[in-house]
Amino acid sequence: MSRYFSGRIGQAVLVLWAAFTVSFILLQVLPGDAILIKFQNPDMGLSPAQIADMRAVYGADVPVWQQYFHTLGNFLRGDLGYSIQAGVPVTDLLSSNFPPTLRLAVLGFVLATAVAIVIAFLSSLLHFGWLKSALQSLPSLFISIPTFWLGIALIQFFSFHLRWIPVINPGEWVGLILPIVTLAVPISAPLAQILIRSIDQVQTQPFVAVARAKGASRSGVLWRHVARNALLPALTIAGLLFGELIAGALITETVFGLNGLGQLTQQAVNNQDVAVLQAIVVISAAAFVGINLLVDLVYPLLDPRLKTSAGVHA
Amino acid sequence: MQTIRRLNAVSRALALGLLFATTSAAFAADGTPVQGGTLIYLEQQAHTNLYPPAGGFYPNGGILNQITDKLTYQNPQTLAIEPWIAESWSFNADKTEYTFKIRPGVTFSDGTPLDANAVAKNFDTYGLGNKDHHLPVSEVINNYDHSEVVDPLTVKFFFKKSSPGFLQGTATIGSGLVSLSTLNRDFDSLGDATHIIGSGPFVVSKETLGREVDLTARKDYNWGPKNLKQQGRANLDGIKVIVTNEDSVRIGALLAGQADFIRQVQAYDEKQAKDQNFPIYAAPTKGVNDGIAFRPDNALVSDLRVRQALLKATNAKQVVDTLFSPNYPQATSVVAKTAAGYVDLSNKLTYDPAEAKKLLDEAGWKPGPNGIRQKDGKTLALTVYESLPQPQNKEVLQLVSQQWSQVGVKLNILAGDAGSRVADNLDPEKTAAYVVEVGRADPDVIKSAFYPTNRDVLLQKGGSSSKVKNFRDDKLNDLLIAVSAEVDPKKRLALTGDVQNYLLDQAYVIPIFEEPQVFAGAPYLKGINFEAVGRPSFYGAWLEKH
Repeated sequence: MSRYFSGRIGQAVLVLWAAFTVSFILLQVLPGDAILIKFQNPDMGLSPAQIADMRAVYGADVPVWQQYFHTLGNFLRGDLGYSIQAGVPVTDLLSSNFPPTLRLAVLGFVLATAVAIVIAFLSSLLHFGWLKSALQSLPSLFISIPTFWLGIALIQFFSFHLRWIPVINPGEWVGLILPIVTLAVPISAPLAQILIRSIDQVQTQPFVAVARAKGASRSGVLWRHVARNALLPALTIAGLLFGELIAGALITETVFGLNGLGQLTQQAVNNQDVAVLQAIVVISAAAFVGINLLVDLVYPLLDPRLKTSAGVHA
Repeated sequence: MQTIRRLNAVSRALALGLLFATTSAAFAADGTPVQGGTLIYLEQQAHTNLYPPAGGFYPNGGILNQITDKLTYQNPQTLAIEPWIAESWSFNADKTEYTFKIRPGVTFSDGTPLDANAVAKNFDTYGLGNKDHHLPVSEVINNYDHSEVVDPLTVKFFFKKSSPGFLQGTATIGSGLVSLSTLNRDFDSLGDATHIIGSGPFVVSKETLGREVDLTARKDYNWGPKNLKQQGRANLDGIKVIVTNEDSVRIGALLAGQADFIRQVQAYDEKQAKDQNFPIYAAPTKGVNDGIAFRPDNALVSDLRVRQALLKATNAKQVVDTLFSPNYPQATSVVAKTAAGYVDLSNKLTYDPAEAKKLLDEAGWKPGPNGIRQKDGKTLALTVYESLPQPQNKEVLQLVSQQWSQVGVKLNILAGDAGSRVADNLDPEKTAAYVVEVGRADPDVIKSAFYPTNRDVLLQKGGSSSKVKNFRDDKLNDLLIAVSAEVDPKKRLALTGDVQNYLLDQAYVIPIFEEPQVFAGAPYLKGINFEAVGRPSFYGAWLEKH
């Protein structure tokens, strides 16, 4: 068990280091840099000599490999550097932007899961052919709706037309309703799709027929026997959907003007704010690794057979 | 029957009386400002750095204009310089020495006095920069030497050379006065709005970085510009500046009553606001017009005939008629009609595609197989980057590209990431053309745009880019220096006219339209003002209902 864990943690560290290094290289390869973008802005009215001074101030005139080890060293000490664009430490930006995104992502994910489960289970319980196929085509519809369009459409309809929910200066929770829906719709699609397919698959297995023959009701079998087995593939997808969640948050936060990591990422990309981007990449990688580790650990709880294989006892 | 008729008459008279009563009440409401309420102001972009000389960026200026006062006030209508924090001033004939008398009793919001010493420290920083704190020099202050505190309320400034633009410079957004504690901060920490301590009618009370800045009225404010109707504290209790990137969300929120004032209304959204009686405020920026400048260092546009041909191939009227509203007048010179020293040069800006083709033929560029002109195996294809702050710039460039293709010239329009854009815009070989626009209500604006050590839009050797091989126009540079140094106001304006003529004779730039800053407000929002180049001032603003 401990060897399994230390192996996984070693892998995680390797992934984080690779994410750091690859993002560092990619950001260096891009033409221009944050200092150029910020200070060459004609509205700043700076002379070339002044811009050169600024480069020296930020240490941007140091060779790249020195910058790499310097930044890596600082990261290991927990110093994430300074945002050139915002003019504040990256840790300040993260501490004010991480909680809102976490809240949005968690609530969005919960809603997406709920929607996916409702779609999948209803469609396998319903007998009417047309309703069933209508429900089953919902995921394809959901995934093909662009997030930014959905956000704007929801705002136009619920906020500007019906005037139910304000988008400007809303209450803390009221303001989350539309963004959560916007985020949940595309995330729920692949979850529902996988659930529908795996429920169908599990239902054809002999043990389902046995349970039915013993007199269990359709819905009883679905809940007690099928659901548990059908959840496994969905869980794997759920872990991978974290990336989608970040991407969705980026668009949702921009459209709704919300504070958060998504908006922070967008601004940092626009301005090549390397320190901010590196921090976001490493944090996202850490979250990705963490969530997938969690998913792996949950498998055996859902399916006891995995306890003996998979290497938990190894 | 008769009674009914009489009753009708009575009720009609009553109704009429009521109508009069209500209209006169409305008039009264229109005239007398109501105090109180919080204004919701939707900005398109987050502010960057609030060091006052960086206030040229509109999101920065929109905040700085509320929280800082200036030494002088430039009347946006007459462009005359009027008293504000300075009660009076004088200067010598050479305009190398300026003396200002400071209004007594002015304090910064941290309680420290705004006196001669504070003013001196402000301009020492803006005029010379501060290396220790990485504070750069302000672009509006030329030839600054040093200051002298004559007495607690008198300050004198000395210049190395004549600096006729200085007086107007003290009225610009870049010369907002801040406390000594603000000047003692590092440049980097001025991105945090709460660090900017000014003496203005509003104070930053809260900030959510990249999202929202809350301003609160200063109850003891009593030093607004002397000639304004508004005196004493601001009418509003506060302002919430909320960053809302999406154009459709800003205009939608305004029309749905969720916001009171918004910046950047696209020309195509103006109509729906007007239809619902939401006033549009189009503030002219009084500077160098929105247009396309050439980089003559690039061999493709080094030939005057090619530049002239492209000037003649550009149909500015079509651009304005197709994409914009009457708030975007077609350019008639390098600078706007409302700019200082403007001369009408519309005769040099005529659309003449036949002449354009002739000029290109003469220059040796012959139509190639795909219609694009070629010479010595090279095609006449120029590249330009879209400029994000300019209104509908992509659409403007696409239309110009269509117009140029009529005479056999290709214009490639790139969006690009910010890094490539900035880097390529410094390389004349990569960008033969560049989108230009600068706002400032002083003849110096033309120098700001074209002088090599300022914005250097033509990219001259010895200017902002090390990639320039040869191009340098000393005749132009001498003219620009003369504009910034001429002490006689009349001669100075005449020189500004010479620069405009020269720039168009050399076809260095194709002016397209006079760029406004377009805002929209709620019908119940009154008393909005704009400084000389279109930054809103909420000092006299008030909300009829709140």
